Amino acid sequence: MTEPGDIDFDNMKPEEFEHYLPDLFANGDGKVSRDPRLQKFLRENPDCAALVRDLETIAETARSLFEPVGDPSDKVWKNIQTKLREEAANPSASEDDEEEDEVKEID
Amino acid sequence: MNCEGQLMTQAPPQKSNPGLFKRNPPIAGEAEAIEAAKNGDAEAFSRLYALHKRRVYTLCLRMLGNVSEAEDMTQEAFLHLFRKISSFRGESAFSTWLHRLTVNLVLMNLRKKGLSLVSLEETINPSEEDAPKRDFGSRDPVLTGAVDRVALERAVASLPPGYRMVFVLHDVEGFEHNEIAAMLDCSTGNSKSQLHKARLKLRELLRQTEPAPESAVSTEAAK
Repeated sequence: MTEPGDIDFDNMKPEEFEHYLPDLFANGDGKVSRDPRLQKFLRENPDCAALVRDLETIAETARSLFEPVGDPSDKVWKNIQTKLREEAANPSASEDDEEEDEVKEID
Repeated sequence: MNCEGQLMTQAPPQKSNPGLFKRNPPIAGEAEAIEAAKNGDAEAFSRLYALHKRRVYTLCLRMLGNVSEAEDMTQEAFLHLFRKISSFRGESAFSTWLHRLTVNLVLMNLRKKGLSLVSLEETINPSEEDAPKRDFGSRDPVLTGAVDRVALERAVASLPPGYRMVFVLHDVEGFEHNEIAAMLDCSTGNSKSQLHKARLKLRELLRQTEPAPESAVSTEAAK
């Protein structure tokens, strides 16, 4: 992306704006509509302002999808128990699944 | 872009992610269950399953868009958890760790399945046909107001897999672009760009599902 200092936010074209938009969303707090550098442009380009508003709404609503929606069926737990019993009886059976196994922790 | 085998072993991003911790607060009784499960306590593992099954299943369902595959991956995730729980050191929230484990398994599974059918590049970058349509100079259809959660859920499920993956990881699960880039073995710019395209596609899909505004003709007919 062009360095922010190089961009003429007030006089850019809508297609330039959309080119910068992924970075504008990623680099700020996700509230592009509140970015003071963009206020004049958004006022003068209502389609772009509507686009920003819609994308912000979608991103905000997406957070509500974090909450789980349903349970797996009972057969999942039954299958897990069966597999674990099999592995306990025959420990080498799970060796094939032991590749690529390290899960790093994020601090 | 071949990342087979890299998913579980690559270095984690160094940047902390307070968002994930905020969304994954410790659960009462969880720490005790983890310690007991590390010592092979089957009852404790059963408690961990009960505590986390919904979230793991929901994550799989959103990433895969298919109930049967989501259940299979939920099963795999918990089997993997059982085998690997001793490596959990408590440096991150357990649910964050479990989410990462699940995401890695789902991605690995997708790649294994797709190797002969579709390249990873195509998996991450959907075809032009699926890409959101943008036509500068013409007026875009605009969402009329707040987005209904159920409508968004449906729209997300109908996204092309590559878009859905990045959208779910970033906007729903709260992963940062650098983390997604590491997981998908793509650039941070690619992750940002795919997320943007996913949101544009969702806007398009949501606009299609909104009820049409009442026209003058239908209003007249109603009279």
